[in-house]
Amino acid sequence: MLEAIIAGCALGAVYALASGGLLMTYVSSGILNFAYAAIAFFVARFYYFLHSQHHWSTAPAALLSIFGAGPALGILLYVALFRFVRLSSPLIRIVVTIGLAVSIEPITLMLFGNLNIANPPGLASQPVKVYHLAGAPISLDQILVYACVVLVLGGVAAMLRWTDAGLLVRSVVDSTALASLSGIRPTGVAAGVWAVSTFSAGLTGVLAAPIIGLTIGPFTGLMAAAFAAVVAARLRSVGIAVSVGLLMGVVTGVVERYLPSTSQFTAAVIPSIPFALLALFLLYWAFRGENLQQTQTVGGPLDRAISPHGGSELALARAASISGPSASGAPRWVFPVGLIVIAAILPMVLSGVWIGAYALGVAYGVVMLSYTVGAGEGGMIWLCQISFAGLGAFTTAVLSTNVGWPLVPAMIVGGLVCGVVGALVGLLTIRLGNVYVALATLTFGLLVENLVFNLNYLNNFGAGVDITRSGMTGTDKDFAWFALIVFVILALLFQNVRHSTFGMAISAVRWSDPAARTVGLSVLMNKVALATFAAFIAGIGGGLLATYAQAAIPDSYATFSGLLWLAVLVAVGVRSTSAALIAGVLFSLLPEVFLTYVPTSWGQVPAALFGLGAVLIARNPEGTLAMHARQLEGLLSWRRRPAVASGNPDGLALAQVGGAGSSQTRAERESVVR
Amino acid sequence: MSAGIDPGQPGVAGSAGAVPVLAGRRISVNFGGIKALADVNIEVPERSIVGLIGPNGAGKTTLLSVLSGLLRPRHGQVLIDGVDVTGLPAHRRARRGLARTYQLPELYAGLTVREHLQISYRLRHEHSRMWRDLLDAGGWRRPSAGEKERVDNLLEWLELTDLQSSSVTALPLGNSRLVEIGRALASSPRVVLLDEPLSGLDARESEALAGTLHGLVDRENVAFLLIDHDVDTVLSRSSDVVVLEFGVVIARGTPDQIRSNELVRTAYLGDSVDAPLEISQ
Repeated sequence: MLEAIIAGCALGAVYALASGGLLMTYVSSGILNFAYAAIAFFVARFYYFLHSQHHWSTAPAALLSIFGAGPALGILLYVALFRFVRLSSPLIRIVVTIGLAVSIEPITLMLFGNLNIANPPGLASQPVKVYHLAGAPISLDQILVYACVVLVLGGVAAMLRWTDAGLLVRSVVDSTALASLSGIRPTGVAAGVWAVSTFSAGLTGVLAAPIIGLTIGPFTGLMAAAFAAVVAARLRSVGIAVSVGLLMGVVTGVVERYLPSTSQFTAAVIPSIPFALLALFLLYWAFRGENLQQTQTVGGPLDRAISPHGGSELALARAASISGPSASGAPRWVFPVGLIVIAAILPMVLSGVWIGAYALGVAYGVVMLSYTVGAGEGGMIWLCQISFAGLGAFTTAVLSTNVGWPLVPAMIVGGLVCGVVGALVGLLTIRLGNVYVALATLTFGLLVENLVFNLNYLNNFGAGVDITRSGMTGTDKDFAWFALIVFVILALLFQNVRHSTFGMAISAVRWSDPAARTVGLSVLMNKVALATFAAFIAGIGGGLLATYAQAAIPDSYATFSGLLWLAVLVAVGVRSTSAALIAGVLFSLLPEVFLTYVPTSWGQVPAALFGLGAVLIARNPEGTLAMHARQLEGLLSWRRRPAVASGNPDGLALAQVGGAGSSQTRAERESVVR
Repeated sequence: MSAGIDPGQPGVAGSAGAVPVLAGRRISVNFGGIKALADVNIEVPERSIVGLIGPNGAGKTTLLSVLSGLLRPRHGQVLIDGVDVTGLPAHRRARRGLARTYQLPELYAGLTVREHLQISYRLRHEHSRMWRDLLDAGGWRRPSAGEKERVDNLLEWLELTDLQSSSVTALPLGNSRLVEIGRALASSPRVVLLDEPLSGLDARESEALAGTLHGLVDRENVAFLLIDHDVDTVLSRSSDVVVLEFGVVIARGTPDQIRSNELVRTAYLGDSVDAPLEISQ
């Protein structure tokens, strides 16, 4: 038992270090850094590159990677990126870090090589000394982890609380503008915060590598587990986060000891423990009816008043104008209809590997449309759409292959199953608030991935459940048209939603919760209804993906792959139906282009580009498609003149364009209050 | 305290016998250890304008949040037309005819000016369209004659017709407040809570807006609970006034009674009760 507890403590200490680092970053920057694992991986891989590949000794390798590259990366990210999103909405802040997470891994592999690393070294000299505590073995690497938890987290916490540097940080957190007026250089302080944050991520990575391995998978799993501790601490208390992190490790160690090591059940349960704990915390709060809506953790009213980026999500609202002609005078249906016509012609033009990639891309377009509905239209950060796609895929496969249903009804039932599950997840989580919804849906995805997709009945030793393609899906060309018809039907349904009273209600709920409630809208029920629709689309899309692949395979629906899907869509345009189709086709075709025309070593470039594209949401919330469309409209609309407002002699004698006292626009005012 | 004014009584002058359209009874709200409201009583009779004034931090907006259902009180009751709605969420109260505006306008950035009024109208008068539109593609058809007439009239009266297709993100503050008022009125409410509707407006805009409130009471058959820092305007437009200080009602009565109330003078001027009160008589 003691041995199990000590073994668990090592893992728990890593969880504690990660959760402490994540939470301190959140508290001092307002950003829940989904790229934490990627940064940790980058620094750990750099350390390995120096230490093992180039035979540097431990000290200089650690100094250059942990104390050099880590903080430098933090400062670079702050200067180039995070300073622009400090006051943005949770949606933008989270998506930016997701884009970063998606891009850092392939960049790391391109820089340091894509190696299969068996036993990465830690900071202890090799061979690692092993001590015994009450008969239980404890390695020097593990002792170093404990020491770092105490020294780093304790040191940073003490610094924040009791030193002048901590006072500076807290003043900049409260209000950059006021701190600046007091003679503090806020840019330097904020860059320092990010340097410490990435230093802590790098240290976590180097310390964790000997325990969890040096591939991105366990690192993202570590971060997801750390999220559980962060949620337990309600995004506030570093002490609670660290304690829960340690506890999760101990529970994992003990459970691992008493479950059969070779059982598939054990393999599914062990990695699920942190997520099960997180789910318990969220369910507890949901059933208690607690409102965990986050207030802005950083910045004061003055910051928002003077920041041009304070209300940057408002740019998304510009793309919400769905009726009437565009600025160029062309009806808004011209571009999507033209796109669909081209999409329908392409299968007749393409051949060989390209028609296959294109057909798969159209199927991806359907899944992307589910993000357009949830994130683009509803502003909800659901990170489990890929799990709904997986549920839809398995339902379609089981019904069509094992039960013998025709493909189309099987796919529709798959979508409906996902809709019901989506409604339940929404009912339990939506009232908790945006950041918690992101974490809860990520957790749900990981639980489904570990516990459902790994069931023998579905997993079938990794082969999944087969689907036979025939008739209208028999050839790639036929499949492309079939998928395009499905996309068009779902897109029309979505447009119907947008133009309906419900669509207006969704927009109202998204942009002002209190105002929506006081005109008679139930925020919860409207968001749940939209989430149900998004999950339904994801389920249908999953059915299409599985049909194309002729099998529903668990590995195709890994939760963290869904972050890449989201990044791709955001990079193209999160609000546009057309962007969903383009994003799906790009996601499928771009890797094929690189595979065909570019050296293999460049194979990671598409993923890096997608991630970096999503990062651009910091400066361009509409996405590249909408941005270029707007620029084109701007060029074409030079002829048009603004309409001159005319007064109504019988109406209120208020100025149409505002006098001196009322010339502040909504964007400016919103930036003051949010 | 002046004779004839009893801050403890829930009623206001002129409301005796009639069921008020909106009432708050013994409302208390605590934020941690701070008492934001303590045993506050307030009534808004039908077709009236009741003013709610008090210094900064008195609890005026907190009271509006309790009445509108955005904030749950620690103790107390909220009644609409005599029916206890304390347990009802904000959206259910809105469907009973309660509307409100906000100190900083709360608009839907994704909707146009016209759509703000449309959604409000439909939720009150054509609620079944929320789901029916999805089945019969009703969103693509022209709005009903009733909706068109109501929305067109309000837009015209508010001088927003030329801006009806504009996004609200670029509206100046004055027009934003008008959109909020239009949205509130589009639902044909029984009572509207106006939270500092005049703040940020220049003198001409402020006068124009305040001057229309009486007309609206008759024209729309609606009552208003009006908060504003412009005490003169509130006193000149209201039939009854309630004064809050530190979460407690310190006075209530007609504007004349409030003007001569020493507690009100002290609340606004501190201890300098001998100083002339800058509330015009």
